[in-house]
Amino acid sequence: MADAAPVTEDELRRLSEFLYRRTGMVFTESKRYYVQRRVSDRMAVTGATSFASYFARLRSDIAGEIEQFINAFTVNETYFYREEHQLQCLTRDLLAERTRRRPRSDAIRIWSVPCSTGEEPYSIALWLLENWAQVDAYDIEIVGSDIDTRVLGAAAGGVFGRRALMRLTPDLVGRYFEPLEDEHWRILQDIRDSVRFTPINLVETAETRTQGKFDVIFCRNVLIYFDDASRRVAAENLYENLAPGGFICLGHTESMSRISPLFDVRRFNDAIVYQRPERPHG
Amino acid sequence: MVDAAGKRVLVIDDANLVRRYYRDALERAGFEVEEALNGLEALEKLQDAVTDLLIVDVNMPQMDGFTFLKALRRQDLPVAAIPALVISTEAGAQDRDAARMAGGNFYLVKPVSQELLIEHVSMLCGIGP
Amino acid sequence: MPLIRRGGGRSPPVEDNGSDPERLLRDGTSDQRWAAARSLAGQPQAVDALGGALSTESDARVREAILTGLARIGTPASAEAIVPLIRSEKADVRTAALDALRLMPRALEAHLTTLLKDAEPDVRVLACDLARELPPPVATRLLCALLAHDAEANACAAAVEVLAECGEASALQALAACAERFADVPFLVFSANIASERIRAQAPARDG
Repeated sequence: MADAAPVTEDELRRLSEFLYRRTGMVFTESKRYYVQRRVSDRMAVTGATSFASYFARLRSDIAGEIEQFINAFTVNETYFYREEHQLQCLTRDLLAERTRRRPRSDAIRIWSVPCSTGEEPYSIALWLLENWAQVDAYDIEIVGSDIDTRVLGAAAGGVFGRRALMRLTPDLVGRYFEPLEDEHWRILQDIRDSVRFTPINLVETAETRTQGKFDVIFCRNVLIYFDDASRRVAAENLYENLAPGGFICLGHTESMSRISPLFDVRRFNDAIVYQRPERPHG
Repeated sequence: MVDAAGKRVLVIDDANLVRRYYRDALERAGFEVEEALNGLEALEKLQDAVTDLLIVDVNMPQMDGFTFLKALRRQDLPVAAIPALVISTEAGAQDRDAARMAGGNFYLVKPVSQELLIEHVSMLCGIGP
Repeated sequence: MPLIRRGGGRSPPVEDNGSDPERLLRDGTSDQRWAAARSLAGQPQAVDALGGALSTESDARVREAILTGLARIGTPASAEAIVPLIRSEKADVRTAALDALRLMPRALEAHLTTLLKDAEPDVRVLACDLARELPPPVATRLLCALLAHDAEANACAAAVEVLAECGEASALQALAACAERFADVPFLVFSANIASERIRAQAPARDG
């Protein structure tokens, strides 16, 4: 099969813009080489012999081509303390706002969705214990949800390998995990008991409504996969699951937010987050 | 000829040919250019490097130019005060007023020539002729 | 250890809106109107209720929920309920309407032909952007028809912008004619040239 001509600068720009508009993923100059590679790979797999025909396929999302394309760019690996700057934002800024004028009896509720194999909700638990001065003053409820029940089962088990723990200091691992054989560690029972895991499909309103209202929601790198109509529904669901004034943190490493106009943009030192407005007056 | 001395301009417009046209003029005049496709992206981008001027379109998906400006001006941060040149298709007096009330500093009606653009950008950046 | 797992249910679930959503959509509090709009979403028989509420709703968030509801119905009738909002004096209302209409390309097609000939140039500008969602041959045909007759530079510029993304070879003539007609509008000459370049670059034979 003849090699297709290399994709031109202009063609890469048009493709990047299209993907940005559809998914929110940003392909900066630094990623151009990888985009070029991905285009060539996908053209070979789909049998397209020109950029024009491949782009037409992508624009029409034939056989889910958009997801096929962006899969190469999404980091599916999860580990403890990933996107630490958002955890910083949580304890430095978000919880301060959420606990202003709040009775101590009112539990702080945090949602990690999708939670995958549990690294994110357990990270939140560890982070709060290690970094939040008021961790003893409030009851804290952490919920981890995912559409995939297999990963939820693994999450509840709380067993992790070396890669998942790579960002944690040996001291943290020593204090919060018990070593098992074969380079695995299990997080302590008390931490496992601190997180409740539930199966949830973000697009199903009847399901999301069962989870109640949260002070902070972490919803990273899943909205980019939704089509526009589903994304609107998911965003409305997430809005309902926030208490007035509550915050939502999206993944920022690869994509600009695709959150809807329902939320206000709040820029803190460590992160950009989105906020459900406080109760309006009258 | 303008000496832009590395002033940075953020162009906020969903039309890629408009952004290219402005970029072409601005870079030739020595300005550094960043782009955003709508108000939401602009709010996110403004966390990064220092920006000296915003060029703001009005009709954009997700977040229009006026909503963006109001959200920006509300913030308790230095970025809130960046001057904004609003460039829109709408020519009525009420649109100019709306732009001013949203926090725009100057208003031009599309289509704008490159000369007119540079003239106003320079003025708003405080660069002499 | 201070972190405690609650047994669940301590936080009340988000309220569902049971009774008579159509009435609450008109008369309820903003929370009730929000919930009512969401409960009617996607139901074809609710087009009139949602469309009627849309024209009077002043809360931006409830408006978003109504628009989502209409978009999920996705029929020409639901598109018709949204189209009037693109004439609004408020930019955020126009944006919200356009975002919803972009989800309904097929339902939109019938309306676009009319909108592209609207008396208001600003409406024609916005209609060009919506044409982006149509299949390229259809978009090309409609936008070239506009380019042939429209006296407004901004409407033509909007058409050129979309043709630059998805225009087909049949657009080259209309683009050249446009550049000539508006030789005194540098932006339009610039855009038409880029659009033509991009279309010509696609010229090599397409495969199946």
